[in-house]
Amino acid sequence: MSDTQSYEPRIVAFLCKWCTSAGADLAGVSRIQYPANVTPIQVMCTGGVSPMYVLSALRKGADGVLVSGCHPGDCHYIEGNYLARRKLHLVKELLGFVGVEPDRFRMSWVSAAEGAKFAQVVRDFVEDLRPLGPQEKVKADRS
Amino acid sequence: MIKIQDIRDAARDMLAKGEVRAVIGWQRGSRGMAAEPVVINAPEQADGLVWDPTCYHNLSLYLVNDKKAQAHAKQKPTLPIAIIAKGCDARSCVVLMQENYFRRDDIYIIGVSCEGTGVIDERKLAVALGGVKPTSAAFDGDDYVVTLPDGSEKRLPAREVMADRCLECREPFPKENNIALGEDKTGRALEAPFAALARFEQQSEAERWNYWQRQFDRCIRCFACRSVCPMCFCDECVVDSIEMKVAPTTSAEEKASRVRWIERSNTLADNFGYHMTRAMHLAGRCIDCGECERVCPVNIPLRLLNNKMEREAREQFGYEPGASIGGPSLVSSFRDDDPGTWIR
Ligand code: SF4
Ligand code: SF4
Ligand code: SF4
Repeated sequence: MSDTQSYEPRIVAFLCKWCTSAGADLAGVSRIQYPANVTPIQVMCTGGVSPMYVLSALRKGADGVLVSGCHPGDCHYIEGNYLARRKLHLVKELLGFVGVEPDRFRMSWVSAAEGAKFAQVVRDFVEDLRPLGPQEKVKADRS
Repeated sequence: MIKIQDIRDAARDMLAKGEVRAVIGWQRGSRGMAAEPVVINAPEQADGLVWDPTCYHNLSLYLVNDKKAQAHAKQKPTLPIAIIAKGCDARSCVVLMQENYFRRDDIYIIGVSCEGTGVIDERKLAVALGGVKPTSAAFDGDDYVVTLPDGSEKRLPAREVMADRCLECREPFPKENNIALGEDKTGRALEAPFAALARFEQQSEAERWNYWQRQFDRCIRCFACRSVCPMCFCDECVVDSIEMKVAPTTSAEEKASRVRWIERSNTLADNFGYHMTRAMHLAGRCIDCGECERVCPVNIPLRLLNNKMEREAREQFGYEPGASIGGPSLVSSFRDDDPGTWIR
């Protein structure tokens, strides 16, 4: 990144196919403005988001990782998001424990009808990531 | 106090009566005072078994190895295999059974209680003895008695040189057992559980990262910690990306684009990936036998990571690894009131 460019956080977002992906689409078709810092990756269910996805994204240089899926009770696979909640809580705790800012990892519940909420989640995340600066701690050194 | 003769008799009897096909235990080693794991399958070999403060190995690893060897030889054993198990070893047997790696009647647990002591931490002992290497060690009440090379004996309060995990151990008695020897001293924890963890957590985020950065940087990725852990029984480990099946028809593109979750090189980023993944894969399964930390050639404090996950499981999810054979594992279950306020 050149000095003249200001820092723009790069977010990798794992979005569940049934709720948040549709919510993100809705934000798009509703022409709701939100920062273009997110690289969305569609997954079938947040329950299938392995901790490795999060770690790997950080290793590959993501400044923040977002996992977003259906609200509790609304999971297409009945309980995938509950399993994700437990597993990803542990990931977040572990990140904080070793001293990687836990704020670089975020999870949210966004339904297919919540286009506005999706935009807000992204806006908030970008703003919260800005003061943290680029994530260099666990980014693989390619030099 | 457990008499070694009782352990030998139990093992000899079982083998003589043909109740088990082998007994996994400890024998005198070839490296100074340390006992070494042994698998015996004839009654007369029972006399070589030992029980002393150097029996730190978690023998359930050898159950896993036995199972793999049986599978490799395409054998289906008809008799169970017996294992001499301390409290922590018995807990790891429970996790293995909970995960359906074994059925309960595949194994016969000869429990040995740690009775108020635990096992020696060789690193602490080396400091206490100024580097002098003892030739043997024995339990004596709340003390260890070590024999020095010149033949003299030295008495050391066990809690000064015992392994950290033993200080915090709440269950030195093997709860899951077929027979158990020794006194049940459950609840004898010499230090508050997670005491070391709590001390570590007093530090700021920057200090903690400083610490772990240094630790992860030092890891040489020898994978001893993985090899020694009874819970790391997967046939294929995610860090071994070279194990991708390559057939004559596999294209160069397929080879190049295979998923490499974690590279094998020991860079900080990949060591971080390895250790975080390891901690996650052991969350709710690690029973704090301390073997990973003991075998690490560069003294990476792996127990801190494991303990963090263990305490989280206990406090946030009411989950205790190794407590019962029935029931789901930590990450394959949930409760409606799992913490969720952190989710936006
Ligand atoms: S952790 Fe507990 S059961 Fe295991 S060796 Fe130490 S005292 Fe014994
Ligand atoms: S933590 Fe220690 S035992 Fe494990 S791979 Fe690294 S150097 Fe080896
Ligand atoms: S992670 Fe370490 S302490 Fe936990 S079960 Fe495995 S070897 Fe034992």
